[in-house]
Amino acid sequence: MNYILSRNDIPKVLEMWSKTHQVFAPQKYSNFSAFLPYEGKAEQLCLEYPHNTRYPPKALFLPQSEELLSYTKDGQASEPALDAKPKLIFGIHACDTRAMTLLDTVFDAKDYQDPFWKARRESTAIITLGCDEPCSTCFCTTVEGGPFNRQGADIIMTDIGESFHLEALTPKGENLCKDLPYASAAEDRKVSNVQEKATSDMPKAFDTEGLKTALDANFDSSYWEEVQRSCLGCGVCTFLCPTCFCFDIADEAARSKRYRNWDTCMFSVYSREASGHNPRPSRKERTRQRLMHKYSYWVDQIGKIGCTGCGRCVRYCPVGLDIRAMLREAGKLPVEVIHA
Amino acid sequence: MTDLEMKLKAEAKRLLDEHLVDVFIGFRKENAPLHPQPAFFTNSDQLDDFVYNNLCQNNLAKFLTRYPHETKIGMIVRGCENRSVNHLIVERQHPRENIIMIGVPCTGIYDWRKITQRCGEEISDVELSPGKITVKTSKNQFEFESKELLHVSCARCSQPNPISADLVIGEPVEPKDPARAKRQVETFGGMTAKARYEWFTHESERCIRCYACREACPMCYCAECFVDHGAPRWTESMVSKAGMQTWHIIRAFHQTGRCVDCGACERACPMDIRMTYITEKLNTDMENEYQFICGMDDKTQPPFAAFTMDDKTRFVA
Ligand code: SF4
Ligand code: SF4
Ligand code: SF4
Ligand code: SF4
Repeated sequence: MNYILSRNDIPKVLEMWSKTHQVFAPQKYSNFSAFLPYEGKAEQLCLEYPHNTRYPPKALFLPQSEELLSYTKDGQASEPALDAKPKLIFGIHACDTRAMTLLDTVFDAKDYQDPFWKARRESTAIITLGCDEPCSTCFCTTVEGGPFNRQGADIIMTDIGESFHLEALTPKGENLCKDLPYASAAEDRKVSNVQEKATSDMPKAFDTEGLKTALDANFDSSYWEEVQRSCLGCGVCTFLCPTCFCFDIADEAARSKRYRNWDTCMFSVYSREASGHNPRPSRKERTRQRLMHKYSYWVDQIGKIGCTGCGRCVRYCPVGLDIRAMLREAGKLPVEVIHA
Repeated sequence: MTDLEMKLKAEAKRLLDEHLVDVFIGFRKENAPLHPQPAFFTNSDQLDDFVYNNLCQNNLAKFLTRYPHETKIGMIVRGCENRSVNHLIVERQHPRENIIMIGVPCTGIYDWRKITQRCGEEISDVELSPGKITVKTSKNQFEFESKELLHVSCARCSQPNPISADLVIGEPVEPKDPARAKRQVETFGGMTAKARYEWFTHESERCIRCYACREACPMCYCAECFVDHGAPRWTESMVSKAGMQTWHIIRAFHQTGRCVDCGACERACPMDIRMTYITEKLNTDMENEYQFICGMDDKTQPPFAAFTMDDKTRFVA
């Protein structure tokens, strides 16, 4: 069903949801916005910000540092309790919501389930806020998504001016909307206009047709030598990326705890082996890995591109390396390649 | 293309065509708004998208240490980059004779974060004219005086002119407002210990340990950074208070007498974390206690790295 949430009612409704859920919403954090627990401060909400939060909301399910177990000197180990309290994420964009469904294929796969991830996913409802004005650095429609993509959402929300239109997509979503007024036919029509306009306004950033073939054929191309020159090898593009999930496990003896920390293929220590050998010895191999993983290996593994086009890596790379431009170039590489 | 850009490009072309350099390090046109890219030209036909403007935010000296000593490097240097190169020569990271510095008196770098704070993160286009900048978003257009947007390091820059470049293009500029540096150090130093700690905590707690600050800094070229060291482990691996604070303090301490206050670390940070308030304190101490300013020549060791037989303290021996 479709419902209406008037702008003025947002604090009241968030308050209501807070009684049964821990509510997370995009709020002012330093100079930008982040998903933070909602504590009744409606003036802190950033629903009008025409872009994603800087720090990716994947952290709500896969915290950057997470305790896996604690141990004692006499060999006892215990795992922390799973986080199963009901949570609600309000106002997360479609690309970030979709990212969770991609990450499900990693952390909730047939042969391996991560209990921490699963517990959080199962106990969380997601209200997606579609983007009526996608940014120039976003490219979700290029990579199988869209500003109003519904994958992973319990409710999809559309800004129709004085109010938000909420379409409940799952029983979880319906349940959340039960106290809201229904949307009128006129309001429903406004929604399709907004959604269609936003989607059709977005130009294709690059061609995905044949891209994987070009990437695979050019694994040894000197192109990667070009790409790596300005790359700093920092963690910005991958840590901020909503679909990057690599982690490292570290024992913190002083705390008698084992942690899982985000890690990134852009760091040289990431692939360095105990012997000191590094199979990805230079930035050439590392920059290649980031693009190959998202645009080739994900496709091999699950038949989907592992990038949702959120644009974070484009906006925040300190040297202005733009994944769209890299892929445009890579797509032009000859498929019959003479190995460099 | 501005007159300055044209002259710089012509010079890069000459150096490459006459085989005086193997690579010329400059910038090229951005793909993403606000971020011209460091560029490494090895042939003059690659110079088509050469740019140089106040949005060129990286310290190009960063890339010097990536090349073998034999490589003849040509590069653009602003005041801070010139001093960085000098200091890297002191630290024997590249021989002076294999570097050709094309100096540019610097009018300051615009801090992209100041732009996004004022205009929102959705910037579609930027137009630069002398002293002025016009920023376009999908809905609005903003105009700023350049001085409003200068990065803090640039606003307090005392050495905007190249000091030992092989060739300088453009007229020398006045130093900005170096008193600001002193004021900031005094303000921070004048706080109570508790207030200082709160400030430090507020800044460091946003850290995501992406190390973009390290990777953007010309002086951070260690093959293995202390944070990456496994045995012994110098700091907690997590984004815990201890882990983040240790990172921030030790990173700054490793810059003692080595920092040129270019601000590249801050501009690289995706979390808008201020860092130069610590390094500026160290720089001021170096200047006051040891009369040392990093990179003013390419010979003098920074006090904490220098060793003499008549050292007053017997710390090392
Ligand atoms: S953010 Fe940019 S500089 Fe940093 S690793 Fe990614 S591509 Fe390289
Ligand atoms: S690769 Fe870049 S654009 Fe794609 S999902 Fe990750 S951060 Fe977003
Ligand atoms: S610490 Fe920061 S300001 Fe100092 S030289 Fe390094 S990048 Fe520049
Ligand atoms: S760039 Fe910023 S977030 Fe990244 S490690 Fe440095 S201070 Fe932390």
